[in-house]
Amino acid sequence: MRSPRSRRVAAAAAAVPAATMVTVLTNSPPAAAHGSMSDPPSRVYVCKNEGPESPDSAACKAAVAVAGTQAFYDWNEVSLLEAGGRHREIIPDGQLCSAGRAKYRGLDLQRTDWPAKRVSPGTFTLTYHATAPHSNSNFEFYITRAGWAPSMPLRWSDLVHLRTFVNQNPTTFTQWTINLPQRTGRHLLYSIWQRVVGSAEAFYTCSDVDFGGGTTTPPPTSPPTPPPTSPPPTSPPPTTPPPTTPPPTTPPSGGTWAAGTAYSVGATVSYNGISYVCLQAHTAIAGWEPPNTPALWRTA
Amino acid sequence: MRAMRYAAWALAGAGVLALLLVQCGAAGGSPAGPAAGRGFNATDVMFLQMMVPHQGQGVRLVRMARGRPVRPEVATLTAAIETTQLSEIQSMTARLRVWKRPRAASAHEHAAHGGMPRTTEAELEALARAPAGRFEREFLNLLIAHQDDAVQLARMETGGGRDPWTRRLAVNVDRSRSAQITQMLAWLAAGPR
Repeated sequence: MRSPRSRRVAAAAAAVPAATMVTVLTNSPPAAAHGSMSDPPSRVYVCKNEGPESPDSAACKAAVAVAGTQAFYDWNEVSLLEAGGRHREIIPDGQLCSAGRAKYRGLDLQRTDWPAKRVSPGTFTLTYHATAPHSNSNFEFYITRAGWAPSMPLRWSDLVHLRTFVNQNPTTFTQWTINLPQRTGRHLLYSIWQRVVGSAEAFYTCSDVDFGGGTTTPPPTSPPTPPPTSPPPTSPPPTTPPPTTPPPTTPPSGGTWAAGTAYSVGATVSYNGISYVCLQAHTAIAGWEPPNTPALWRTA
Repeated sequence: MRAMRYAAWALAGAGVLALLLVQCGAAGGSPAGPAAGRGFNATDVMFLQMMVPHQGQGVRLVRMARGRPVRPEVATLTAAIETTQLSEIQSMTARLRVWKRPRAASAHEHAAHGGMPRTTEAELEALARAPAGRFEREFLNLLIAHQDDAVQLARMETGGGRDPWTRRLAVNVDRSRSAQITQMLAWLAAGPR
């Protein structure tokens, strides 16, 4: 069987004239960056390896039930393109494992049964799997503070810096040696891969580790969240963030355009002093202002 | 089957973003190369070349909701996403034509980063096979992930693009997709239809 890659390459090659290819080849970029921590495996790496369609662990099952499988097909992209070192400004507390991205929100589930690697304090070698390594990158490693438990949200203030390696040139599998401090029970090893040259992109990983002797690990016979064999697919688990969107309102015709308003065909609004007529029923949202959406509005 | 699914959706993920990223790195916000002096740069071109197929895939995805058991608000949103994204595809394609740039990035660039997905058949068929009780949730999760990727693409353009029209488009892609995601998360949190 042909690999998907070769199939796609062949298809793309067939679709683009040779002359065009040559033109662009002269500006062709080097390899891009993609990856995640493979040992101790990050949450996304664990679920990817279990198989997005049929995960084994209750935690991965729950993550898929909450947010779908897509995150685990794109396991090597828990990243923000515009990071540029501003991690603490752009990723909210409680969303560190997903990098604040809705696509990856299953990784933020506060569960005490994420598969965890047993570790001990002292010298520790970790491995990072970069499917597309990129030269000149900084790698930062953190451990959660003593007293933190995986039933709690992960906040920036919970992270204790362990070590940063700067101007690294990672390969497909790169190992770094750090020192793990004294801890008890379950913790998270957090990493940030910040590209330095050519892109502001950064990658984030959460790896569950267990120092032993903790009281936060539940007995295996009583998982605290949806039963492993049958997560209820149609009802959201309790950890789903609460809704914040108000119900749409229906305005008198002829008012000023406003996000959150449900408009039906023929409704008229004004926007920046110009009148528009609604062409298709929709609820207005930011970014869909009448001048930006000729598919939804025409000038009256 | 997994490989095929991965292949299909790699467009939204690895291949697309990788390309854009690197191209932006090459452009770096300082216009250079063949586009210099014309008001646009390599990031603008790559953004449009990536968005056209990404949007097209999004259109195919939202069409999956037609005739399936989704709440009326979901049907209304997805119908509006379909027409707005089709309209944007037209505008973006026209822009690339004016710039005399191909509608899609080169085969070489795609090949170097995982390839240009040829089809989303496997993924869409899996969604089509989802039982009625699970369809809406799986559909919304796929669409959330897809639009989340669009937000990332847009932020590359706003970070490194030069052409004002393209930058404005990216800002509106960022805002509208973010708002859609917020809406869809709220529906999921509110429970099944």
